[in-house]
Amino acid sequence: MIMDLKPATPNERRQYYREEWDVNDVPEFIRETLTQREFGFDHIGRGPNDRYRVFQNTDYLRKFMRVRTPFAAYSSVAFYHKPRRRDGWIKAELVFDVDAKDIPIRSCGCDNVCEICLKQAKDIVHGLIDTIKGDLGLSNIYVVYSGRGYHIRVLDDIVMGMDSDVRSQIVKYLVGSDVPRSEYSSHGMKYNLEHFTIPFGYPQVFTQRVKQALLNLNLDTEIDEVSKDIKKAVIKHRELLSEDQWGLFRKEIGPVRYSRLVKGIASLNLTLVDAKVSIDLKRILRLPSSLHSGVSMKSTLIKNLETFDPFQDAVPKFVYERKD
Amino acid sequence: MVSISFLNPLSPEGKDIVRELGSFEGISQDIPELRSLVTHNPSQEIVDDKEIPSNYLELALKRMEWHIKKKHDREFNSRRYAFLSDHAITKYDVISFYLLCQAIGVKFGPNSRETRVMVEAQGDIIQERLGKLHEEESRLIVEKSLQMLLKKDRVHWTFFQELLSTRKIRLTDLILDHGELILDREDFMDCFGPKIKHRNPSSMYQLLIGDELKELIMIKMIMQETEDYIKQVHEKARVMVEPNPILLELADEVEEVLAEPMQYYGYGSGRSGGGPMKAGPLNPLAFPPCVKKALEGIKSGGRNDAIVLFMTPFVSYARLYPDVFRMNISKRISDQDPQLEVTENEVLPLIYEAAQRCVPPLFDDQPQEKVNINAKLGFGMHSTLKMEHEGETTWYTPMSCEKIKLHLPHLCRPDDVCKKIGNPLSYYNRMIWEVRNLDKEGPDSSDESSSDNTKDITTADTENSTKNDNKNTDGTNSRER
Ligand code: SF4
Ligand SMILES: [Zn+2]
Repeated sequence: MIMDLKPATPNERRQYYREEWDVNDVPEFIRETLTQREFGFDHIGRGPNDRYRVFQNTDYLRKFMRVRTPFAAYSSVAFYHKPRRRDGWIKAELVFDVDAKDIPIRSCGCDNVCEICLKQAKDIVHGLIDTIKGDLGLSNIYVVYSGRGYHIRVLDDIVMGMDSDVRSQIVKYLVGSDVPRSEYSSHGMKYNLEHFTIPFGYPQVFTQRVKQALLNLNLDTEIDEVSKDIKKAVIKHRELLSEDQWGLFRKEIGPVRYSRLVKGIASLNLTLVDAKVSIDLKRILRLPSSLHSGVSMKSTLIKNLETFDPFQDAVPKFVYERKD
Repeated sequence: MVSISFLNPLSPEGKDIVRELGSFEGISQDIPELRSLVTHNPSQEIVDDKEIPSNYLELALKRMEWHIKKKHDREFNSRRYAFLSDHAITKYDVISFYLLCQAIGVKFGPNSRETRVMVEAQGDIIQERLGKLHEEESRLIVEKSLQMLLKKDRVHWTFFQELLSTRKIRLTDLILDHGELILDREDFMDCFGPKIKHRNPSSMYQLLIGDELKELIMIKMIMQETEDYIKQVHEKARVMVEPNPILLELADEVEEVLAEPMQYYGYGSGRSGGGPMKAGPLNPLAFPPCVKKALEGIKSGGRNDAIVLFMTPFVSYARLYPDVFRMNISKRISDQDPQLEVTENEVLPLIYEAAQRCVPPLFDDQPQEKVNINAKLGFGMHSTLKMEHEGETTWYTPMSCEKIKLHLPHLCRPDDVCKKIGNPLSYYNRMIWEVRNLDKEGPDSSDESSSDNTKDITTADTENSTKNDNKNTDGTNSRER
């Protein structure tokens, strides 16, 4: 079934919060730390301007939601001693926001979000999580469907105290926004090692991100300093990449054009996640279980990313009852 | 055998040396042995007897002088400083290192340019010394000091939090596996050996990690420790008794040494001469697209960052110290504008204007941002610019394009010139040059002539452009040099 993602009416919102939503749908990692978090709400659909809210227990939160049936609900990624004043910052989740609408190289070409780009966002999330676990060795990871994409929320204590500068380095590592060097030297001799010949560490991450981008690229994708000719060549030869024949692929493109291509993609990769969200230590994020009224979908904590399908698992009941 | 304290004076060995010395007494007395070591060094070139350091304080100054001259003096002669790489001086060298840190900590504090130069100089000196050792010996000593610094065989990357935060190293430079930094050959083979095909894993190890990465990590860690030590000294000095006058004197002399390159190039406020990029009235025509956009006022989110973090450093540096990246010496506003007249009359008004053009006007709902602007200019968290507060915070250097793209993506609308630079300030300098050369040579001067002049600036700038972090002491990756 193809949904059209239209806004929820105030009645539908009310129906959702009174009949469908349960405060226990709020993930445990948030309920457990409820009193240290700041909550924010958007009551009329113009952005969250009711902020600095604190709930002493889940019951207050439950009542608030039922009575106010907000257009959107958010809670902070930061933990505070005094959340009501956003003061006494303790630590903050490390978050990555993959918004389907902002994927730099989209194969769908829709102007909001659709099944295709949501699927692509999911693939990106998979890749990011592999790196977060495999390279960075973090494990306390939650994935939330945000209504228009995905939030990866990392709660390992060893990273929660880190400042924005470290976080921005993490983002760059994860998305592959620096071209790894290819010149190495040893005993006074210079050697060339392209990123795709190194099957581990950052060069490997970079290779995967470039691959993902190249497989989705089309002629209209704008990449700095990459001409239409190069894009044509990429499309013509990209099945080589499915078999990881990078050497051949590079040869077909030509080494100079290849390095230009890779550089262009590296800088596009910077927008794979919204870095502002990751480096902001006081950000509020959509509350999992709450309604994204703009598109009539539920923000949902995902149990199994493999099988998660937003059009199955994040659609509130009222949508099915709509008479169009 | 070279002692570890020759590279890392903060090592236990180094601390022992200081402990032995005991007190400051006799610190400025002549040390005949030091003189003789210097004069008997076979690579040493001595022109003037006065050049021979004959006590701890003089040695300390030589350390700084070497670093500064090497960087700025076109006629730099390394043979005059050959003694600095002679490990026979270790004992004296360690003490002079501590004296420097203490002098700088007491007088200037951790956010000063003096600290920054000292930390850089220490990194520089270690590299120089390693380079003079035999490969085997250098490998051994790096190995040993790393063991000491890392404390464990395997470390999680989060251990380097501080180095990452100050951008002394980049996360992408590290080879990680399940969170652990892989440095050791055996670990490398265990983790990645099976994955490597068509290549010899051992030579791959040598290339990717080998000695280079270990050296890099060791050097950067020692630099960080140096910075931390200066900070410690500073904090202690604030609550404790009068500092030793010898330290204050040394601090003054350090300041003089650092001031030299600016005089040497005829650079600085009030001085005329052919300095490369002299401060002068702002030319809005030379502003990069992002600055032009911010000047129109920010209509959507991100007003605060755009004005406080982006415009304030840009406008102040463009007006007062456009050459900051090329000179690579951090300064205070008052070094360039002693009466703060230009700052009050030209810099702040432009920033305020941009703030007022925001929607809603920034100061209407957030008047406290004025304090933040002052803080970014180096005057602490106060509502007025007062000389007595200067130095409580650092004068923020302009963000690099990369950082702008991260923090304020809507501002960046790159044009052709942007491709050649890494920092909006470099854009500005480059355009100013081009305008000047056009003036000089008339409209039909060829492109060639101007690009020659700009080359110097831009290459220096792009190298530095990623390090625009004010906590940073050395953002450039030594491996890229
Ligand atoms: S590339 Fe740099 S200078 Fe150019 S608009 Fe973007 S941020 Fe500004
Ligand atoms: Zn789509």
